[in-house]
Amino acid sequence: MQQYKKTQYKLILVLVGLPARGKTHISYKLNRYLNWIGYKSEIFSIKGAQQKDAQLDQNIDYELEIDPTNQQFIEVRQQLSFQAAQQLVTFLQNEGDIALYNGLTSTKSDRQKLKSLFKEKLNLEFQVFWIESICDDPQVILNNINESKLSRFKEKTIDQFTNQIKVLAQDYQTLENTENISYIKLINIGKQVKVHMLEGYLCSKIVSFLLNLHANNRQIYLVRSCESEYHLLDKIGGDPELSAMGKQHSQQIGNYFIEELKGNKNITFFTSQMKRGIQTAEIVGDKLGIKALKTKNLDEIDYGICDGLTLKEIAAKYPKQIKERKANPLEFKYPRGESFLDVIHRVEPIIYEIERSRDPVLVVAHVAVLKCLYAYYHCNQISEIPNIDIPINCVIKLVPIPYHCLESRVIIK
Amino acid sequence: MQDCHKSQKIAICMVGLPARGKTYISRKLHRYLNWLGYNCKVFNIGNYRREICGTECDKSFFDSKNEQATKARNECAQLALNDLIGYLNSDGEIAIFDGTNTTKERRNMVYSSLLQQCQNVQTLWIESICDDVEVIQNNIRLTKLNNPDYVSMNPEDATKDFLGRIKMYEEVYQKIELDENLSFIKLINIGEDIQIHKVKGYLLSKIISYLMNLHIYPRPIYLTRHGGSTFNQENRVGGDCDLAQQGIKYSQKLGNFLLEEFPSQEQRNQIHCLTSTMKRATQTADIVCNILKINYLQLKTLDEINVGICDSLTYAQIAIQFPEDFAERKVNKLTYRYPRGESYLDLISRIEPIIYEIERSREPVLVIGHQAILRCLYAYFHRNEISEVPQLDIPIHVVIKLTPAAYYCEEIRIKIDPETGDKKQIEEDLQITRINILTKKKSYILL
Repeated sequence: MQQYKKTQYKLILVLVGLPARGKTHISYKLNRYLNWIGYKSEIFSIKGAQQKDAQLDQNIDYELEIDPTNQQFIEVRQQLSFQAAQQLVTFLQNEGDIALYNGLTSTKSDRQKLKSLFKEKLNLEFQVFWIESICDDPQVILNNINESKLSRFKEKTIDQFTNQIKVLAQDYQTLENTENISYIKLINIGKQVKVHMLEGYLCSKIVSFLLNLHANNRQIYLVRSCESEYHLLDKIGGDPELSAMGKQHSQQIGNYFIEELKGNKNITFFTSQMKRGIQTAEIVGDKLGIKALKTKNLDEIDYGICDGLTLKEIAAKYPKQIKERKANPLEFKYPRGESFLDVIHRVEPIIYEIERSRDPVLVVAHVAVLKCLYAYYHCNQISEIPNIDIPINCVIKLVPIPYHCLESRVIIK
Repeated sequence: MQDCHKSQKIAICMVGLPARGKTYISRKLHRYLNWLGYNCKVFNIGNYRREICGTECDKSFFDSKNEQATKARNECAQLALNDLIGYLNSDGEIAIFDGTNTTKERRNMVYSSLLQQCQNVQTLWIESICDDVEVIQNNIRLTKLNNPDYVSMNPEDATKDFLGRIKMYEEVYQKIELDENLSFIKLINIGEDIQIHKVKGYLLSKIISYLMNLHIYPRPIYLTRHGGSTFNQENRVGGDCDLAQQGIKYSQKLGNFLLEEFPSQEQRNQIHCLTSTMKRATQTADIVCNILKINYLQLKTLDEINVGICDSLTYAQIAIQFPEDFAERKVNKLTYRYPRGESYLDLISRIEPIIYEIERSREPVLVIGHQAILRCLYAYFHRNEISEVPQLDIPIHVVIKLTPAAYYCEEIRIKIDPETGDKKQIEEDLQITRINILTKKKSYILL
C-alpha cells in the first residue's frame, strides 16, 4: 500500500461510553473500514483479553458483568482492561498501524492511567483520538440491548442490566476539554456531534466516516451487469453493450426486484458509466420506476494494455504479467491500468454513500468493483478479495447488523 | 457524482459577530461548490447595507437601541433575503446568506421565510465563534481596513470604530441553541472545537467535511507540470513516457529553486510533495526530492486525464482518425469525454480528495502534476468559472506559487529556463485563457 498515506506515527482510537451505547458496534465498523483501506488495524477489548486468558472462566461474560456490588468481577474487569492495553502496545510496537481500545475509560482517572501507560510503554510516535458515544434516548438504548446484548444474557433481565448501567452512570465522567485530548462525541447516534482539537489526515477521515454511521439495518443489493457481447467472445474489459440474452436477464432481475422491494421507490440506486452497467440499470430501473445515479467510480477495473483481449491472448502476449498476477493478485497492477488496491481507493466514496443511506441500496456494477464492495462488508482481510465469487445473474443481498453482515444470494434464471 | 444530487435547493446561512470569518467561509464555500459544478451565489447583507444606507455608517448605526437604524438594517436584510429566495426559485441551486444573523428573532424570520417561499429547500446554519483577541485583531487588519466603510479613516480610528461596532452586536448576540431545531455546525476558534447538529443528506455532509478541513494558516502551494517529456516534444497525448533531456534539466533547476525558497533542511522536511504514478511525473519528483532530501507521495488520483482511444496519438492524428470527436471536443472541451477515457468534469470529481488534502495541510505543498490535472486544481484556487478550466494557461517549465490570502489567492508564476536556470516572473497568458481583460482583476476584489 505504498501509494496511500502511510502515517509516520501509530494511531490509537479509544472508545468511551456507558454500556449499551454502541461502542463495540462503532469499533467493529471502524476496524473493518480501516483494514479495508489498507491499514493494519485491530480491536483490543475486555472480551478479547478474556478470550486470550486461559486461566479465566470462559463461561462468565466479563464484559457484561457490570454488577457494581460484585467486587470480584470489578477486579477481574480492571485486570482484563489492563491486559488489553498491554496487548495493544505490543501490537503497535510490531506490525500494527492502528489500534482500537474498548476497555475501562469511564472516569478521568481511568483515562489518565491509560495515557500514562501508552506514554511509558510505547517508544514510537503515536497519536490518541478519543471517541465517546453518548445516548439519552431510552428507546435507542433498549434497541441496542435487544440487538446486541440480549442473546448473551445468562440469567440477567433487561431491567437488571439497565439498573446496573444507571449505577455506573453516577461515576461516569464525560470527556472534557480540560483533559487536553482530541476527541469526537457522538450524541444519539450522530444527531449531534462535537469535535475537539481534530488533527491529522487519518483522524479527519475517521471523523468523516463516523458522521455517516446510523443504526438502520437496511438491505444492500449487489448485482453484476448482465451478459455482454464481450462475454460471448471471452474478452475482458472494453465497453461492450448487453447481448440479447443479457437484456433478457436484466428484465428478469427487474422482476425479482419488483417483488423484493414491494413498491418502495426510496432506493439509493447506483451504477457505473459503462454501457453494460447503464443498460442493465435502465432495464431494472424502468421496471421499478426509479432512475440510477451513474458514477465513474463504479467503472470496472482498468485492464490497461490487456483491455479487449481474451484470456488466451493475454497468456500468449504477456506471460510475465500472468505470473506476477498469480503471485500477488491483490497488488498486481495491469500495466497502464489499475490494481485491486486502486479500485478500493476509487470505490471508497461509494462506501460512504452506502453507509450514509438509510434506504435500501442497489448497486449495479462489475466483477472487480463488486469484489471490493463485498469485501468491505464481509472480509476481514483484503487479501481475500481476488478469490471472492461474484457470479453473473445473481443478486447478492447484504444486511449489515451489529457485529455481522447477513448474506443471501439468489440466482435469477 | 454532480448530476445526481441536485434535487433539493440549499440555503446556507452564516451566524456570528463581525470579524469572525463569516465572509471568508462564505467565499471559500462558494468557490468550492462552484468548482464542483453547482450554481452557487453569495448574498452579503453588508453589501446591501452599503448600497442603500451608504458607507459612512459609524458604530452608532449598529446600536440596537437606535430605532431608525435598526429598521433600515432589517430592511436591507429583507432585501438580501428576497433576492436569495428569488435566486433559489429560479436556476440557483445553493445560496449563501452572509450576515451576522445574531439573534434568535432574525434567524427565525429567515428560516420561516425560506420554508414558506422556497420550494423544497434544505437549510444549514454555520456559526463562527471566536474569542481569541489576536485572531480578531488580525482579521480586522486584513479585511476591514480596506473595506469601503473605512476607506477615508486612518487605521487606528477605523479599528477603534470597528471594535465598537462589534460591541454593539455583542450586546444582543444569542448563540444558536438546540431548541431552535436548526441544522447547524459551530466552528469555534477556527476549528479547535466543532459542533454539528442534525446534518443529513449528501451535500450537507460534504459541506461539513469540507468545513472541518479549513484553517487560516498561510502556507504556499506550488503547482508545476512534470518536466518536458518525449511525448511533449512530439505533440502526443496520453502515454506513460519518460522525461526528455530538457525535462531532466528543468527538474534539477526546479530543485535548486526550491532549495532557495526553503533555506533550512527543517523547513524542507515540512514540504508535502504529491505527484502522480506516471513515469514523467515520478522522474521529475525523484530529481527534485533528491535535491531537497525529502520524500514524495504517489497518488493515482493525480494521473493525467485518461484520453482513452486517443492515447499516444498526436493531435494531427486524432483529427484524421477521429474527426467527429476532434470537432466535438473543440466545441465543448469541458464536458467532452474521450471514448473509453475521461472528461474534465470527471477529472474534477476525481481530484476532489486532493483539494481536501491541500486545504487541510498547514505546511507547504508541492504538486508535480500534468496539464489537465493542474488546470482543475488551479481553477479551484483561483475561482475561475468552470467553463474556463479546459483553456487555462499552465505552461511547461513554469512553477506557479499560490499563497492563499484573506479573500483571494496571491499568485506568482516563475518560468525556469532548463538550460541556464534563469528565473523570470511571468504573467498568466490571458489570450490562452480567453478571460475578458476587464475581469482580469476579479480575483483581487474584496467583499
